[in-house]
Amino acid sequence: MKIVQIAGYLGSGKTTLIIALSRKVAEAGMKVAILVNDVGAVPVDGKVIEEYGLTVKDIGGGCICCQVAGTMIRTLETLAKGPKPEMIIIEPTGIAVPESIRQTVMMNAGKTGAVLGPTIVLFDTTRTDKLLTYDTLKRLVTTQIRDADIVALSKVDLSSADATDHAERAVRELNQTAKIIRLSTVTGEGLAVLADQMREVTVQA
Amino acid sequence: MTTMTARERVMKFLKGEKVDRPPIFSGMGNVIKPVLDKNNIVFSRVHRDSELMAKAAAGMYREFGYECAVVPFDLGVEAEALGAKMNYYDEVEGLLYPTVKEKSVVSVEDVKIPADLKNAGRIPIVIGAIKALRRELGDEVAIGTYVLGPFTLAGQVKELDQLFEESFLEPEKTAKLLETLSEFIIQVFKVYQEAGADYFTLREMGGTSDVMSPKSFKSLIKPHLIRIISEMPRPSILHICGDTNSIIGDMAECGADAVSVDQKNCITDTRQKLGQGAIILGNFDPIKILHKGNANDVGPAVLDALKGGASAVWPGCDLWPEVPSENMEALMKALKSV
Repeated sequence: MKIVQIAGYLGSGKTTLIIALSRKVAEAGMKVAILVNDVGAVPVDGKVIEEYGLTVKDIGGGCICCQVAGTMIRTLETLAKGPKPEMIIIEPTGIAVPESIRQTVMMNAGKTGAVLGPTIVLFDTTRTDKLLTYDTLKRLVTTQIRDADIVALSKVDLSSADATDHAERAVRELNQTAKIIRLSTVTGEGLAVLADQMREVTVQA
Repeated sequence: MTTMTARERVMKFLKGEKVDRPPIFSGMGNVIKPVLDKNNIVFSRVHRDSELMAKAAAGMYREFGYECAVVPFDLGVEAEALGAKMNYYDEVEGLLYPTVKEKSVVSVEDVKIPADLKNAGRIPIVIGAIKALRRELGDEVAIGTYVLGPFTLAGQVKELDQLFEESFLEPEKTAKLLETLSEFIIQVFKVYQEAGADYFTLREMGGTSDVMSPKSFKSLIKPHLIRIISEMPRPSILHICGDTNSIIGDMAECGADAVSVDQKNCITDTRQKLGQGAIILGNFDPIKILHKGNANDVGPAVLDALKGGASAVWPGCDLWPEVPSENMEALMKALKSV
């Protein structure tokens, strides 16, 4: 059971990406479960769930602390005993710190046999300066980028080439080791690469 | 020293008076399944029924000797009283805390402090639970309660991305919003005091340095915390989760009788910064230690917090309901041996 986190600030496109990625991964034959902080906000209807064999679970939203952490651990245990998905994609709240989520999900790794896939953090290329200069945003966004194994530069279809380059440089300055992938859920750019990374990369066993 | 009741111990401790040993308590949500199961309480119902809420809270003392009874258990009471729609997850299998489903505020003009606050949302449920606890527990056990801080509450009632951006681009608008919410928070604390609560925790999780720079905390949030703490009932505790190492001095300056921190705080450094007279509460990891840890490891972990400089041991946050009985017993045994 591999656990992949798709984090990133509010409005960066996590939910849209998760649906697109989970379909891609499911198409490759993997059983996928999605943990989201608001099932109501996920545009996945019963037909899609049935067609792609997805399991969608609520982990609650709001506070980023222990109330969600406990739910997450419990849900992972339940999934490990029951549907036994091969991949679990977690979408935490947009103000979550990826490292905290990582530590939480791996608390039970011994019991569930879970391994950790890459932590993917979305960075919205249409808001680079806002996200990295607004004093009330930059600390969180910076922390999220630094915690990433992969930074997906999202909405590149809406950004000019210069803007995307600018976003990539800014992200690279903050994280020298993360893989950076350009992404558009509209054109499909980057989706296949991300899906491959999710399947192939194990960060912690 | 004559034997103290649990209530005496907590209240004297929070007033800085001499006690026989540090009280074993918390100011945050602490209801666990062994208590719920013994009393046949369904988790999703406990948040909406005064009697069940009181029974669950009292159960922590009755079953384990935990020296407090704290209500409510979730973080949505205030938002709901201000008009937010809640999700109680009645249809979902498993333990899920109520969360805000629909936010109610775009601008400060949308914030209407209910004229009849005692009957707004679930405030009457919490009032009823406090009164029930006072009837059942008398002078035996201290009754604690908590209210969210203004910035955290703002994040519950207004879209977060809008809040963060507005706080940078139009800080005066955010300031007005936080001012109005602060007034509401003070009023909520007062109705809980009137109902019979003994001690009061102000929970400003949104102020954590994980999310908010220390500079933003100081300019945006701290002034409102100072105001609330000066007007809320006492004894008062200011709690912030997450990384608080850079803001602990500011937290102390807010003026609460005690500060509460979680496992990310270096409590040894905090003690050094705040001095021997400060009341510092914390700071074991409630998930890693009490929920997932082995019973044998609980005692040393909680005693480490005392050795590190905590005045009394608090969990870093709410207790996750699936704490095993043996872990709770191990905590009590270790802390009673002090």
